Amino acid sequence: MRVADDVVCPFCGCLCDDLRVTIDDNDVITRVDNACALGKTKMLHRMDDRLLVPEVRRDGKLERTTLEEAIDTAAQLLAESRRPLIYGLSSTENDAHRAVYRLAEMIGAVVDNTSSVCHGPSILGRQESGEPLASLGEVRNRAQLVIYWGANPLQAHPRHVRRFVRIPGEYIRDPRTERRMWVVDVRRSATARIADRFIKVEPGSDLEVIEALRALIKGRTLDVSEVGGVPIDELAEAAEELRSVEYGVLFYGLGLTQSRGRYRNIDAAIRLVRDLNRFGKWGMMPMRGHYNVTGANETSTWTTGFPFAVDYSRGYPRYQPGEYTAVDMLRHGEADLLLNIAADPAAHFPRDTVRRMRDIPIINIDPKRNLTSLMATVNIPAAMAGVECDGAASRMDELPLYLRKLVDPPEGVLPDRDIVRLIIERIEGAVDER
Amino acid sequence: MTQEILLKNCTVYDPMNRIEGEVTDICVRDGKIVESVSTDAQVIDVRRRAVLPGGVDIHSHIIGSKINSARSMCPEDHRRAVVPKTPTTRSGVGEAVPSSFVIGQLYTAMGYTTVVDPAVPPMKALACWEEIPDVPVIDILMLPLFSNNMITYHYIEGQDMEGLRGYIDWLLRATGGFGVKVVNPGGTYAWAHNLNAEHLDQTIPEWDLTPNQILTSLVRAVEELRLPHPVHLHPNNLGRVGNIETTIAQLEAVRRARRTSKRKHILHLTHISFDSIASVDEGSTRWEDVASGGLELAEYTNQHDHFTVDLGQITFGPAMTMTADGPFQYLLHRVSHTKWMNITVDVELPGGAGVVPYSYSPKSLANSVQWMIALEYALNIDDPWRCVITTDSPNAGPFVRYPLVISWLMSRRERETWLETLNSRSLSRSTLSGAEREWSLYEIAIATRAAPARILGIDERKGHLGAGADADIAVLDHMPSDSSLSDHPEEIVRVFHSTYLTMKAGTVVHRNDVVNPSGVRRRVFSVQPTLPEATRKRIHNEVGQLIDRWYVHSHTNYPVPRRYRQALESPIPLRPAT
Repeated sequence: MRVADDVVCPFCGCLCDDLRVTIDDNDVITRVDNACALGKTKMLHRMDDRLLVPEVRRDGKLERTTLEEAIDTAAQLLAESRRPLIYGLSSTENDAHRAVYRLAEMIGAVVDNTSSVCHGPSILGRQESGEPLASLGEVRNRAQLVIYWGANPLQAHPRHVRRFVRIPGEYIRDPRTERRMWVVDVRRSATARIADRFIKVEPGSDLEVIEALRALIKGRTLDVSEVGGVPIDELAEAAEELRSVEYGVLFYGLGLTQSRGRYRNIDAAIRLVRDLNRFGKWGMMPMRGHYNVTGANETSTWTTGFPFAVDYSRGYPRYQPGEYTAVDMLRHGEADLLLNIAADPAAHFPRDTVRRMRDIPIINIDPKRNLTSLMATVNIPAAMAGVECDGAASRMDELPLYLRKLVDPPEGVLPDRDIVRLIIERIEGAVDER
Repeated sequence: MTQEILLKNCTVYDPMNRIEGEVTDICVRDGKIVESVSTDAQVIDVRRRAVLPGGVDIHSHIIGSKINSARSMCPEDHRRAVVPKTPTTRSGVGEAVPSSFVIGQLYTAMGYTTVVDPAVPPMKALACWEEIPDVPVIDILMLPLFSNNMITYHYIEGQDMEGLRGYIDWLLRATGGFGVKVVNPGGTYAWAHNLNAEHLDQTIPEWDLTPNQILTSLVRAVEELRLPHPVHLHPNNLGRVGNIETTIAQLEAVRRARRTSKRKHILHLTHISFDSIASVDEGSTRWEDVASGGLELAEYTNQHDHFTVDLGQITFGPAMTMTADGPFQYLLHRVSHTKWMNITVDVELPGGAGVVPYSYSPKSLANSVQWMIALEYALNIDDPWRCVITTDSPNAGPFVRYPLVISWLMSRRERETWLETLNSRSLSRSTLSGAEREWSLYEIAIATRAAPARILGIDERKGHLGAGADADIAVLDHMPSDSSLSDHPEEIVRVFHSTYLTMKAGTVVHRNDVVNPSGVRRRVFSVQPTLPEATRKRIHNEVGQLIDRWYVHSHTNYPVPRRYRQALESPIPLRPAT
C-alpha cells in the first residue's frame, strides 16, 4: 500500500492540491481524502465506463482493433480531410496540447478548445477591455467582499467557498465578520442560500444591472424604480457598499458568459471592476470548469498567439471566434472531419450541431466511453492525465501545477500526447513514402 | 562524433579579447571555439565579413504569464504580422508580442543567441519552463521577482540576513532562476492597498519596511551570495516626470551600501528611458514640463562606477508595456485610455503586475523626449562596458527594432533625420540634437555582446570569440573594409536585421535567410548558491511553513520538477570569493 500526499486533483479549475490518495498493492486507488465528491469519484471510479481497446467503425458498427490500426485509420482520415477540425483539450495536460498544435499546423486544421462554449465570451471581453485578474491566495488573505455572479460554486466547484472564502487568511482573521460573500443569480442557488447578500436578477438582464451599478457607483441617480428585477434602492445600497470596500473580488460563471449579452456582459463586468479600482483594490476571476481549460488557452496563446478558435489552413494561425469555433465549424457544415480529444462534444453541443457530427468521420481520443465515442469512427483510449500519466495544468487564476502519475494506465493505453505523436509520425511517414 | 568547422576570413570584432577588425579564422569543435581544427573541418569562407560574438540580450520579456496575457488580450497585434510555417520552422504571429516560435526565429536571424527574461513570477516558473522548448535556438536566463514578496519582507523585517540569503537560494533552486529582480520595491506591494511607494523612506503597508531597506538588503544578500549577476533594478516612480531624482537617490542608497562588496558593479539599472525623466521646472511632475534626464544620469555614471545600465530605448510604433509595477501600469491606463490588465500573483505580488498596449508617436511631446533620453545618455558616457542596448522589449518597442537603435547610435546623419520628425517642442528638452558622437562597430559589439555577458557573469562562455567560448557567432553581411556604416544608416539596419550567418553552439542556425533550429544544443542557465547545510535546512523548513500559511497551494508543489529542467538546465559558477 502507498499513500501520496499533496496530490493535484484533475477535475475542476480549482486544482486543489491537498489530496491524499491511498493506493493498494494492485495499483487500485482505494481511498481519496480531502477531495470533494467530484474529485473523489473521478479517482475512485477511474475504471468505470473506460475505453480500453481501440475501435474502428466498419459497416456502421464499432469493432475492436489494434492501436496500430486505429492510428493508421486516424492518420488516413486526417490526411484525406480537406477541412479538419480538432476540438477539446481542456481535460488533458499541456504537453498533449503542444502535440496537437503541431498536428494541426502540419495538416492545416482548425483547432479549438472547450472555452468556445464556456468562457470564450470572457476572453472576448478581455480583448475589448483587458482584465484586472485576482489570485486565489490573495482572495483568502485579503478579500473583504467576494461576489459570485452567475456562478454556483457549491455545486460546480464544491471546495471553492471553503478553501478561499469562508476561511481565515493572513489579513482576514475571522471570515464571518471581516469578509462578506454576495451572490448575484437568476435563482436562489445553493450558494445564494449561504451568502450574506443575494441579488436576484431577471434572466437575461445582467448587462442592465451591471451598467446600473456602474452609474450608481459614479454617483449618478437613475430615474427608475427597478433594473433587471432589482429594486433601485437595493442596487443603490449595494453600490454604496461596493464603493466602501478596500479589497474586493468578483468571481463570474457561465450565468454571465452564456446568457443574453454574452461577451458584452463580461466587458461590462470588467469595466465595473475597473471603475471600482478608483475606490478600492478590486480583481476578478472566471470560474473555469474543466481542470485545464485555462492551460488550453495558455498553450494555444503562446504557440499561435490566440487563445482558441485558430485556423491553420493557410500555414499560419488565424483567429476568428464565430467562424473557427467548433460549434460554428460544424453547424455551417464546414468541417469534414472531427478529431475530438479530452472533451465530449456530443454531450454538450447544441442538438443541430450534434446532428451535423453524424455526417462526418470522428476520431475520438478519451479515457472514457462517452456520447462522442458512440458516434465515433475511430476510438482511441487514452490515459487519464494527473492519475495515470503526468503533465502540467493551470488553475483558474493561471497558476501552473504539476500533475503526478499515481498509477499505471490500463494495459496498452497511452497518454494523449503519445497518441497524437504516433498520428503525426504516421502522417509524416506517409508523406515520406510518397 | 566530433564536428569541426573552420570559419575563414573573418573580420573579427571581439572586444573582450581586444580584437577590433582583425582578419583571422575562427575554429569550432563540438559547439565550442577552439585554437585549431583538423583538416577534416568543414570550411565556411565568410570573405572578410564582420564577425561578432552571438548577441546577448540582458532584458527582454519573452516567456511567461505577462507576455502570454498580452498576446491573448491583443489579437489585433497579431494580424499585422503573420509568419507561415516553412520546411525548417514553425508558424506564428505577432508584431509587439510575437508567439513563442517566432521569438526564437527572429532573434536567430538577428544574430542573438542568449536572452534574459527579466521578470519571472516565481510561483509561475513552471509555465516558463514549459514554454522554453517552444522558443527555439536561444539560450535563456530567468530573473525571478523578489521585491514585493511577503517572504522576502519577513526576513528583511526580522533583520535575518542569513534567512534572506537562504530564501534567495531556495527560490532560485526551486525555479531554476539566475538572479534577483527588484521592481518598484514596496510600491507594487502597496498596490494591494491601491497605493504606491513614491518616497524611498516611506513605510509600506503592513510591514515596518521602506523601499530603500528592501533594495539595499537584497543588494547585500546578492553580494554575499556571490551571484554572477548583481541585483537587476527597476526603480520606484517609473514613468513619471521628475523621476531622475528618485533613480539617483536609489543609486546613492546602493552606493552607500557598497562597502559590503568587493565587486565593482553591484547593481544593474534597467531601461533608463523610463527611469531618467527630468522636468524643465524643478519639482514639476506635469508631462507638459517633461525633459530628458539622460545627460544628468550620464554625468552621474561618469562619476560613480558601482552600477551598469541598459537603455530600454524608446522606438516609435506599436509596443506593449508589461511590468511587475502594477501602480505604474494603472497610471498609464488612466492616461492612455487603453485596455488594462492587472495580474495578481498571490503573496509574491499582491498588488499585481500590469499589461497595457501602447504606441509611441513622434508627434507626442512626451514620447519625443522619452526617445531622446537613452540616446542622450549613451552619447555622453565614458565607458560603453557599463551600457547595454535594449528596448525593454516589448515595453519600448519589440526587439526587432534593435537595428534602428544601433543606427541612431552609429550615425549622426540618421539621428538628424529622425530628430526632424519629432514634436518640435521636444528639441529644447534635451541636448541630443547637438551630440556629434558616433558609436563604432566595436562599441556596438561591446554594448550588445561583451558588456551584457560580463554584467551577467556569463563571460567565460558568452560574449566573446576566444578559445573556450560557446560557438555562438554572428556573421554580418558587411565588409568593414569596403564602406563605413555611419555614412550608410540604411545598411546598418539591413545588416543587423538579418545576419549573413548565425551559428549557435557550433550549429549553423541561420544562413541565406533561412532559420533552421534542428539539432541545436540549447540551455537555460541557472545558479546554485553555496550555503551552510544548517542554514539551508532551517530555511527549507521555514519557507515551507510560510508557503503553507500564506499561499493556497502546497510548498511541495511549488518547485519546478526535474522533468522540465533536466535536458536544459546548466548552472553557472558563482563569482570567486576574493
